[in-house]
Amino acid sequence: MDVREATVAELVVAARDGDRAAFAALYQRFHRVIHAVVLARVAACEAGDIVQDAFTDAWRKLVRLREPAAFPGWLIAIARNRATDAARRRSFEPAADLAIALAIDLAIDPPPRLEAVAALRAIRELPDTYRETLLMRLVEGLTGPEIAAHTGMSPDSVRVHLHRGMKLLRERLGGPGGER
Amino acid sequence: MTDYLHDKTGDDPAVAELEGLLGAYAHRAPLRELPPRRGWRIPAVTGSLALAAALVAIVIWRRGEEAGAVDCRSPGPGFAFAVDGGPARCAGDVATHGTLPVGAWLETAVSATADVRVADIGSLKVYGDSRVRLVGTGAAGHHLELARGRIAARVIAPPRLFVVDTPVATAVDLGCAYELAVESDGRTHLRVTSGAVSLEGHGLVAYAPIGSEVFAVAGRGPGTPMATGASPALRAAVAGFDAGDRTALRGIIAAAGPRDTVTLWNLLSRTAGDARAEIVARLDAISPLPPGIRAGDVRAGDAAAIAGWRASLEDRWLCPECFEP
Repeated sequence: MDVREATVAELVVAARDGDRAAFAALYQRFHRVIHAVVLARVAACEAGDIVQDAFTDAWRKLVRLREPAAFPGWLIAIARNRATDAARRRSFEPAADLAIALAIDLAIDPPPRLEAVAALRAIRELPDTYRETLLMRLVEGLTGPEIAAHTGMSPDSVRVHLHRGMKLLRERLGGPGGER
Repeated sequence: MTDYLHDKTGDDPAVAELEGLLGAYAHRAPLRELPPRRGWRIPAVTGSLALAAALVAIVIWRRGEEAGAVDCRSPGPGFAFAVDGGPARCAGDVATHGTLPVGAWLETAVSATADVRVADIGSLKVYGDSRVRLVGTGAAGHHLELARGRIAARVIAPPRLFVVDTPVATAVDLGCAYELAVESDGRTHLRVTSGAVSLEGHGLVAYAPIGSEVFAVAGRGPGTPMATGASPALRAAVAGFDAGDRTALRGIIAAAGPRDTVTLWNLLSRTAGDARAEIVARLDAISPLPPGIRAGDVRAGDAAAIAGWRASLEDRWLCPECFEP
């Protein structure tokens, strides 16, 4: 099987049977979506580890996934659970210590600009419905149709989420992309 | 109709600017090595080999059990680890992966690195020629000992939940990421890359925030933190002061610039009287006392006032270039 040409369902079936190359191909197609899902909930410096943990979980549990077409939603649910657990374990409120809250979103290599930290924090304050979609678009660079294809959402829903989320984000930001 | 936000057709400078900013967070990491699957269907051809290997493993395991040895191969309580690039020993046995149990040492060869999972709060990279022991792990905290070598820790947890002992000091995690190195004589070097770490020992506490480093030596505890980019003049003066030369304080004050407030602030707790007053004056000239904090209280060594000044300095430590003319 040529993993570049294979459908998601074909890759899932192959990966379920132990084909690591097929699973790596699934990672290539979905890691950005999963990172956005995770980044919506946890600090930037821990998001990478949680993405890897989510894919490791998926690899281990894939034999139990009966319907290959359900893979995108199933994988996203694993990532959401992982990220939510990680966020819950933090018994302190990051906003209570602004320096640490900023630092954990700056601790990536290379460090982002402070305006990026502020924008990320503003997106995290949006309702759940819009956070993930906006991060997929603005952080990972996926287009609306790509987001729809990778998440199972309808293209119309993605378009609505993007525009409503962006409107709220503009209201919160006084900086780039905001209403000045 | 074009819709740049939705499908990147047309033009929307504001969205493009946000993309440019937030693109710094885009995920690029490759897939980590996948673990073997449990309960995996073993091809019949290799079944007998696997069975033989399992029997050998059981014999080895039982021999270890009889000898009372700590077992790093079973997934019991402890920190999971995986070794790369060379050999390592866990509890004395050669190991490529496993679980570091409480009380056991993990030792890496010069060419090896080990990735260690710190419970559910973070991860640790153990560099070559290092010796690390898991002292304890539980809800109350996670405690390691670094006897030799270098580690990089990345932890997201409430402050003081993750601590690492070295022969001369204890690193207490307050934030997110740092590197800790221990030389053969115990001399310890801490470098903080995110958040903050408290290096403690001999009754001294060094508060090291992002972008700073601090040394600790036997018999003296932690020295005074410095910005990682501190000038040679300031480094020399700090080394003299930490070695007991009180006159070196003048050199620190003379050499201290806008990026050295971490040194000056830490010295507030290491000096008294006129010496502290000189530091207050220099620090105030660089970063004025925040409203509500009185210089007299800081000069008197009031802990709350000193902590209050630190709060106003945190932004400067986080982004030094944001405060430069």
